[in-house]
Amino acid sequence: MTGHVVVVGYGNALRCDDGLGWHAAEGLADDPRMDGVEVLQRHQLAPELALDISAASLVVLIDASSRLRPGEISVERVEPAVNERPGGSHHLTPATLVALSRELYGRAADVFIVSCGVHSLEIGEHLSSVVDAALPKLVDTVADLVVSREKLGS
Amino acid sequence: MTKTIVIDPVTRIEGHSKITIHLDDQGEVADAQFHVTQFRGFERIVQGRPVHEMPSIMARICGICPVSHLIASSKACDQILAVEPPPTGADLRRVMNLAQIVQSNALSFFHLSSPDLLFGFDADPAHRNIIGVAQANPQLARDGVGIRRFGQQIIEWLGGKRIHPSWIVPGGVDAPLLEETRDRILSTIPEAIAAIERALAWYKSSILQWADEAASFGDFRSAYMGLVDDDGNVDHYGGSLRVMDADGNLLADRIDPTTYTDYLGEAAEPWTYLKSTYWKALGYPDGVYRVGPLARVIVADQMGTPRADAELDEFRQRLGRVPSSSFHYHYARLIDALYAAERIEELLRGPDILAPRVRSFAGINSNEGIGVSEAPRGTLLHHYRVDSDGIVEWANLVIATGHNNLAMNRSVLQVAKRYVKSAQLTEPMLNRVEAVIRCYDPCLSCSTHALGAMALHVQLLAPSGAVLDELVR
Repeated sequence: MTGHVVVVGYGNALRCDDGLGWHAAEGLADDPRMDGVEVLQRHQLAPELALDISAASLVVLIDASSRLRPGEISVERVEPAVNERPGGSHHLTPATLVALSRELYGRAADVFIVSCGVHSLEIGEHLSSVVDAALPKLVDTVADLVVSREKLGS
Repeated sequence: MTKTIVIDPVTRIEGHSKITIHLDDQGEVADAQFHVTQFRGFERIVQGRPVHEMPSIMARICGICPVSHLIASSKACDQILAVEPPPTGADLRRVMNLAQIVQSNALSFFHLSSPDLLFGFDADPAHRNIIGVAQANPQLARDGVGIRRFGQQIIEWLGGKRIHPSWIVPGGVDAPLLEETRDRILSTIPEAIAAIERALAWYKSSILQWADEAASFGDFRSAYMGLVDDDGNVDHYGGSLRVMDADGNLLADRIDPTTYTDYLGEAAEPWTYLKSTYWKALGYPDGVYRVGPLARVIVADQMGTPRADAELDEFRQRLGRVPSSSFHYHYARLIDALYAAERIEELLRGPDILAPRVRSFAGINSNEGIGVSEAPRGTLLHHYRVDSDGIVEWANLVIATGHNNLAMNRSVLQVAKRYVKSAQLTEPMLNRVEAVIRCYDPCLSCSTHALGAMALHVQLLAPSGAVLDELVR
């Protein structure tokens, strides 16, 4: 596999389960399966991440989801947005970020988003018990994705 | 019959707000108000917390400019400890603050405002966004990404993380600078300066396109305020406050920031959570003054670095000594960023920048502390009172967006009078009312003590409250 792998856990770490990406990233940063992988924590997907996406071979985003059942985990490939109008503020959707990377740098990594359903978005730095219980599986899902893709590329 | 137009929320700013425009019986704009509809209450939240926790708590106020709050808070704590940071500690704080100025100015100019500037204020919103900029002017978009990344990386390399670094502490900084980190930062500076200068060249080549907006986007006489050093040059970290009037006369100079209550009053209105800070000598609401990049380049004698000084000379040749339009915040923001990049290099090349002594230690030696710095959006003051055990009893935060609140309201009124010609809502009016607010780059998360996607919702209301017209973007 050419290029490096980037994992980005993002969300609001002060709103309980919305910060699950941060918790997962902390777990992954010390995981031996992530050797050589760049693990980042971000509040939101800002435009400068386009540079990381252009330079990497694989990017895995970890986010909270209110569409999934609490603790439920999903993996989706992110396709670049073609007709999507970017959000009004300084943060972007994953699809827009991939499109921006292609527009600016002519290429984008394969991007996947691993989502986990939330239970509580109240103020606090802790996870709800249901999401906390799902955290090891979330970490394993990301690690398995990275390892399997590395095997495919090797 | 009087009517009210409501723009709710305003987009591409930091936080949540709405705008109401009031029409008189003849259908002419009579008044306009910029409402901040979120409340965060950090001044109350911190009561009862140990003072040593204050910088890290205050950094949580904002995900865009946490460093500014770290610095102002740590400086307030310095006073409570009655210590001065070692010179190297102070210089390292300056480096991180300047990195914050660069990244935040880049965010405002390239990501929030450049779509308006590049495509015009009447362009289709479907294209007037960062993807549109990337397609139409990829170099400008790449420079925006690169400049913001430059600032963010410095913060991360110094503080361990980009968003809420805890490296700045009461008494100085938590750890000395490593040689490899210094060299790493230095290696990125030439490209950052080149990118900022490309953006400046583009802006200057395009400036005539925006003559109409420059004439109506907050074009009024007011005072300006900012920090300057002992030589009268821009200072984002220390120095004293200078206030200049619309004719270039100094209303006040060398104000010790700890005496701010002698000069600045704070007014609250029932229709907004954002306080209005005003110049006491002129009273409320006449004591309008502006802070931020435009104010900094106006009140200072010079910037203090070669490239930024050359740009400031040209700025003054083009616009005069005290430009009256808030539209020129955009231009000033780039000069401010250029200065910051140059000054970071000067500081990092200082002979003692790698010195190991970077923090002073002490216990509680005073019951009160006031810290000031120039945040990206303007002068930031943190004021705390603690008990003998260092427990916070009271806190007051005077935020850049609060200093600018009266000016923002006046700017919205001016744009509304220029572009609202009937009770019919139009896109050009909406675009410009929002854009004039963006000139100030208000940070409502800071000023009200939310980050999120914001739609645009405009309502035209009769005096009875009935919705006469409505527009949702």
